[in-house]
Amino acid sequence: MSEAEIESSKTNPSTFLSDIIGSSVTVKLHNGVEYSGNLQSIDGYMNIVLDEGKEVVGNTISRTYGDVFIRGNNVLYISEA
Amino acid sequence: MSTVRTEQQQQEPLDLIRFQLDEFVLVKLRGAREMKGRLQGYDSHCNMVLSEAQEFIYSEGDEEPTVKKTEMVFVRGDSVILISPIAE
Amino acid sequence: MLFFSFFKTLVDQEVTVELKNDIEIKGTLKSVDQYLNLKLDNISCVNESKYPHLQSVKNLFIRGSTVRYVHMSPNSVDCTLLQDASRREAMVQSAK
Repeated sequence: MSEAEIESSKTNPSTFLSDIIGSSVTVKLHNGVEYSGNLQSIDGYMNIVLDEGKEVVGNTISRTYGDVFIRGNNVLYISEA
Repeated sequence: MSTVRTEQQQQEPLDLIRFQLDEFVLVKLRGAREMKGRLQGYDSHCNMVLSEAQEFIYSEGDEEPTVKKTEMVFVRGDSVILISPIAE
Repeated sequence: MLFFSFFKTLVDQEVTVELKNDIEIKGTLKSVDQYLNLKLDNISCVNESKYPHLQSVKNLFIRGSTVRYVHMSPNSVDCTLLQDASRREAMVQSAK
């Protein structure tokens, strides 16, 4: 990575998003539910696909999904786990 | 639309839904509802048409959800929280 | 625009619209626009005892955003056509 690229990944949210593709992430929704899994893809609407997705309500895993598509409007944040 | 480019092939989230056409999916909806059914159509808003569908309504206090069967239903995308393939 | 076209193919068919406030209305689909607003004729309320205030109403304009589901007869849907149209729409969308 060149210095300019490092700089841009610090300042540009969408390069952050493309940089964390393939990593393990946590996605929190407006309804309080969290999903953790490997980030397969993400688009500009914050639509997200996780593989090995785990649904976490409170502190317990309530469900697991092989693949899961999350509609972007429900997303509060996405963080690199 | 702003674009987030991946270095590998251009996979976007809605591709996952496209691959589920004619397959059974689980759709989690607002209002403590879920719909399982065979995906017949969708668009970028997550509007969908499902066939052979079952709706599950969870109400507080009840362990078991209310189940409603429906042969063919259009689901408006703005109620959608998530979509997942049903492993068979 | 896919579902706009889809609903146009359902015009003059009987549908049941479930709104986000739980009211279910059965009627003949008379018209649809790009927002998926719907016009229904000969309506009846499916859960009438719960919502008696629509008894005297014969036709309705429903704002698209208030719709949760639209139930229809499986015979009025060409599934193969709809699946193909969805794939085509996805191509158009991703080219944008």
